[in-house]
Amino acid sequence: MSVDPDLAAMMDSVFADLRVNTAQMWSRLDNLGLVRLTGPESVGGSGAGWPEAAELLSAAVRHGVRVPLAEHDLLACWLLDATATVYTPARRTLALLDADGRADGVPWCADAERIVVVWPCAIDGADGYRLADVEPSELSITKGANMIGEPRDTVVATGLSGVPVDPGLVAKVRHRAALIRAIQVCAALDRSLELSIEHVSSRVQFGRPLAKFQAIQNLISDIAAESALARAATEAALSRAIADDWAGRDVEFAVAVARSCAGHAASVAVRNAHQVHGAIGTTIEHRLHEYTRATLAWRSEYGSVRYWDQRVADLAGTAPDLWGLIAPAPGARTP
Amino acid sequence: MNRLVPPAAVEPDELRALRAEVRAFLHTQPFTPLVDTWLSGWDEEFTAALAARGWIGMTIPKGYGGHGRSFQERFVVTEELLAAGAPVAAHWIADRQIVPSLLKYGTEHQKQEFLPKIARGECFFGIGMSEPDSGSDLASVRTRATRVDDGWALTGTKVWTSGAHLAHAFIGLARTEPVDPAHRHAGLSQFIVDLRGSGVEIRPIISMNGAHHFNEVILDQAFVPDDMVFGEIGAGWTQVTSELAFERSGPERVLSTFPLLASCATDPERELGRLVARIAGLHHMSSAVAGALERHEPADVPAAVVKVLGTSTEGDIADYADLRGDPALAELVTRAVDQRPGFTLRGGTNEILRGVIARGLGLR
Repeated sequence: MSVDPDLAAMMDSVFADLRVNTAQMWSRLDNLGLVRLTGPESVGGSGAGWPEAAELLSAAVRHGVRVPLAEHDLLACWLLDATATVYTPARRTLALLDADGRADGVPWCADAERIVVVWPCAIDGADGYRLADVEPSELSITKGANMIGEPRDTVVATGLSGVPVDPGLVAKVRHRAALIRAIQVCAALDRSLELSIEHVSSRVQFGRPLAKFQAIQNLISDIAAESALARAATEAALSRAIADDWAGRDVEFAVAVARSCAGHAASVAVRNAHQVHGAIGTTIEHRLHEYTRATLAWRSEYGSVRYWDQRVADLAGTAPDLWGLIAPAPGARTP
Repeated sequence: MNRLVPPAAVEPDELRALRAEVRAFLHTQPFTPLVDTWLSGWDEEFTAALAARGWIGMTIPKGYGGHGRSFQERFVVTEELLAAGAPVAAHWIADRQIVPSLLKYGTEHQKQEFLPKIARGECFFGIGMSEPDSGSDLASVRTRATRVDDGWALTGTKVWTSGAHLAHAFIGLARTEPVDPAHRHAGLSQFIVDLRGSGVEIRPIISMNGAHHFNEVILDQAFVPDDMVFGEIGAGWTQVTSELAFERSGPERVLSTFPLLASCATDPERELGRLVARIAGLHHMSSAVAGALERHEPADVPAAVVKVLGTSTEGDIADYADLRGDPALAELVTRAVDQRPGFTLRGGTNEILRGVIARGLGLR
């Protein structure tokens, strides 16, 4: 799952620049073909795939640029394309309502020009979903934010009319949303590790760099190991999801595993990164919090760590055999 | 930054088919699933049945009686065996590390002598590295090899040699030059020692639960003929350290307690999910390292990452099962908690391995 190095370098330099020059961020990204990166060319997209999208999200995280690229491209517009809905260009996000017509923590609602809304309802007597692509004024929106200041709003909708959506597509979009946050957590963990290495290599105490103390080396080795596990689980989930088109038990299990590993990696990485940085790492002027606080915010979105641990447990409990769930071998007899 | 562990990939269909084949075979075998079976499950009949299927010495070229298969194919087979709790101890060391070492450093005579027998499941090896005063600090070994007519005489004591009382040989690390404090890794050499030969005495080291896996091997002028010198005289340190990734990244660093975890899945509480997720993540990670080994990429740092995380997790599984206190699992849990301290010690302590990772990150 590799990305053209020139494209990756372009993405990195774009976000390095956007970090300092934030004016007209969306239109600049749009002009570069990055806001509909994975959209089909027939609807004005760039026709790229998930590996490129993951690289784009990671580049934004590395430079601390907060922008709803994933919500727009990989969730809202993807769902419009998947349901063959005709739509006009606009900055979008996705709201997945509950049975009462409400959704909490909807990302970037207040900034969106249009909102793709999905809600559960009975269709021909069976459980189903409907979808509508609406203006924000058609919804009741209460502004909110997560701990790093990204808009996370409450949406309430009544009396919308929409087209039926296959429940399978709704399951897919939930898997996509969950894995997007895992990808972002992994990128933030990597930066926490880099900053920690830079700090302990340059900070001198007792006449030597902190890096020379074994106790410090152990703290950093554990950040590195946990982050590597989160990355292995997340990349494996993305590969499985691409291979199985985001559907099925193996995808759900792989996504749940990634979210559990990334969530628990954040516990170790945040604690140890702050420990090796000392008090300076707790200040607003130091950049560490851009990554540590972000990992804590993102690991709790689209399902808490507790939720994903329990999903893994439930899938383990209902699988015919646990090893067959972890290492699928189609056609193998179960005990 | 450079990544510590190579990327994981989707498992190809051929490997999945091989998993299905091994699972079908395991259903026909009469063993009771246990924990830590690569140390404690010595069953020569099972080993023979496995060899008959071509699943020992898989990476040995056909010309040496092996099967010419990839390192990833071997990885898949060993993962399946450990996940099922199969008794694989008899051939484990020979298959895991003596085969790659022989293929890399062995003479033609040594390859002809040992590889076909290993692949048939008829020749078992131990490890001759640790000594009473050399645990993590392997370069401090004191066993001496002195030149005699037509060979070498080894004198010293090796410890923690699992299966020495049942195995045929080990590869012993010994000093062939006095210690040079400026170059303490120099002057070490390796020898293939016949454990049933003269000058070799094997005494049991009984584990705290009364089991006998480990031994003390006392070498008193044990004779090793010239044709059993392993690799080059003086290159012992390079030889033992170059093969560590094979020893540290395998499924035995992740799955030692897997049968216990599987038994706990009937009550799917949240903590079970956390542990299952870690094992699944480690499965992807160690399989990525297997890919790196197949491509002959350096893998000592990613192998250390797998081993630190994997051995901690397999220990956490033992503790978790103990905390649950299910009487139906009492026997398996007792075995697991008794074996647990060894998980993070054998094959390089986790403290040493964190140092390896720190070096990989440029901190040392």
